[in-house]
Amino acid sequence: MAEIVLENVSYTYPGESAPTLAGLNLTIEHGRAHALLGASGAGKTTMLNLLSGLLHPSSGRILFDGVDVSLLDARARDVALVFQFPVLYESLSVIENLVFPLMNRGWQRTDAVSRAVEISTELGIEGIHDAKPAVLSLFQKQLVAIGKSLMRDDVDLVLLDEPLTAVEPSIKWRLRQTLTRLQQSHGLTMVYVTHDQTEALTFAEEVSVMARGTILQTGKPVDIFQSPNCRFVGHFIGSPGMQFVDCDVADRTARLTGHNSDEVAVALDLPNGHYQLGARVEWVRVRREPGSWQVQGSTILGTEVGEARVLLTLTMGDQKLQAQATGKWSVGDNVNVIFDRFILFDDEKAVVNG
Amino acid sequence: MDKSIQNNRAWLGVLPVLLVVAFSAVVPLMTVVNYSVQDILDVNTRFFVGFDWYRETLADPRLQSALIRQLGFSAIVLLIEIPLGIVIALALPRDGPLTASLLLLFAVPLLIPWNVVGTIWQIFARGDIGLLGVALGEIGIVFNYAADPAHAWITLVAMDIWHWTSLVVLLAFAGLSSIAPAYYQAAALDGASRLQVFRYIELPKLRGVLTIAVLLRLMDSLMIYTEPFVLTGGGPGNSTTFLSQYLATKAVGQFDLGPAAAFSVIYFLVVLLLCWIFYTSVVRKKAADDV
Repeated sequence: MAEIVLENVSYTYPGESAPTLAGLNLTIEHGRAHALLGASGAGKTTMLNLLSGLLHPSSGRILFDGVDVSLLDARARDVALVFQFPVLYESLSVIENLVFPLMNRGWQRTDAVSRAVEISTELGIEGIHDAKPAVLSLFQKQLVAIGKSLMRDDVDLVLLDEPLTAVEPSIKWRLRQTLTRLQQSHGLTMVYVTHDQTEALTFAEEVSVMARGTILQTGKPVDIFQSPNCRFVGHFIGSPGMQFVDCDVADRTARLTGHNSDEVAVALDLPNGHYQLGARVEWVRVRREPGSWQVQGSTILGTEVGEARVLLTLTMGDQKLQAQATGKWSVGDNVNVIFDRFILFDDEKAVVNG
Repeated sequence: MDKSIQNNRAWLGVLPVLLVVAFSAVVPLMTVVNYSVQDILDVNTRFFVGFDWYRETLADPRLQSALIRQLGFSAIVLLIEIPLGIVIALALPRDGPLTASLLLLFAVPLLIPWNVVGTIWQIFARGDIGLLGVALGEIGIVFNYAADPAHAWITLVAMDIWHWTSLVVLLAFAGLSSIAPAYYQAAALDGASRLQVFRYIELPKLRGVLTIAVLLRLMDSLMIYTEPFVLTGGGPGNSTTFLSQYLATKAVGQFDLGPAAAFSVIYFLVVLLLCWIFYTSVVRKKAADDV
């Protein structure tokens, strides 16, 4: 296992003018589970191919434990990869599939087989050693593919390309738990590519959010959720995503844009101008006092100590906000809103975390 | 009850197909079977002879030697065309500006009428004016397919390879194109050699199309008629007389309808049997492999 460093890595597909990945910087510490999270087209798979050596960066460097591997191809790198769908040698039995990468690297057969038994026992597939992939379920096949990626004890990096896409939702969590357990017990450096934020945020110790060929933010799941560094990350992470309302800063005081509005924050170290205030639903508190917001609707979420818990939709002019509250609210009520926590965004980037 | 009547009535929908198949396949085939058990002297005079024609045909040394030649020919062309077709398909660029035109080029021999193929090679291999024949003569090999049985065989086999390898190439290429890139990537990460990639990824994935290719080539080569008829006329002597040509001589040339019909039935069963043996062995092997 190794520390993985990307230095200013860019990649442009041959024949295309715009780079698919531009100026990526990333450090993945030894033994970490790292998730690359992004919508399709964000450049996740390209990044994965750069890490595995199936593609080489157009510029920049990739370092494994300080060694520049940018130009080494897949065969020469010590990397294992699990694909979206199980990729196995169909004419070989499960055990032969497992030992295949080891035999090619000159292992003794007895050592390779005992390693295969060890790994497959951990994955719970020791009973199907002699079966051919064709008779296995998709789930079992993917387990074998994962097992194959864990066979070599000298790999620097295990890459997983949306490995749970093909797996039924009901067994996804089981496989994810197994993966986490193996990652921790073997101290594997793992890069997990996914478009599913639940998967990324629960699996990984660190998450990189990707969009349009760049990494927008890298951090612990809780930091990504609590302190997005730009509006895209705020909106992309969480369900529902972060909500934004217009606000203006004048004389170091922020006020929501709209008539009659109260100050949100004072003593800000910001130039005057127009900003976006971002808040998650649970950061918004509604007060039963006359204010500039008006209740437009309420949806009952459940009950809490005899009182209904509702999701309120509030408006102020053309601004819209959702908030959770308890009790009974009528459409048309004028209310006041307090932000327990908020982030100010200047155009795209977060400027104040308050 | 109503339901079952309705279900049965649906069979009427199949009737037109049944009629067409009966008219075009079953009745002619049965006519042949009918002929094969009768001695037909003229339109009104015929005797039932049972299996006499079959006994006589099976004992015919000319048929036996034609059958042996036939099996030899099919075996040789299959053993060359299938591996050659795979090798060419592997060597073709998977995608790129050249691929389409190369595939088109390979399809050309398949589009040429069979008797034209025979004529092309008949001229091509002639020792006096043919490009191949003259060229061989220039380097000191006197090539005469009309007189030397070995030369006749070489020409026939070369012609069949020229004519039909393309079919294997196209089928194998289609099979190779359907392999997801992930398999090659996985093999690279596993440190697999080129030979292992072929043995463990490409060959298993080609199994389906190769089964089709072998079946088509087996059937076609067993029934080969036009090209040797045009090229060598079965000669020199009987050295390139295959089953269908011997049959044509009997049925059309000598008008021995009874023996020719018995021959046809035997011929049909031989082709069917060989294809069945091949197919079931492949399917069984696959079933056994998958357990």
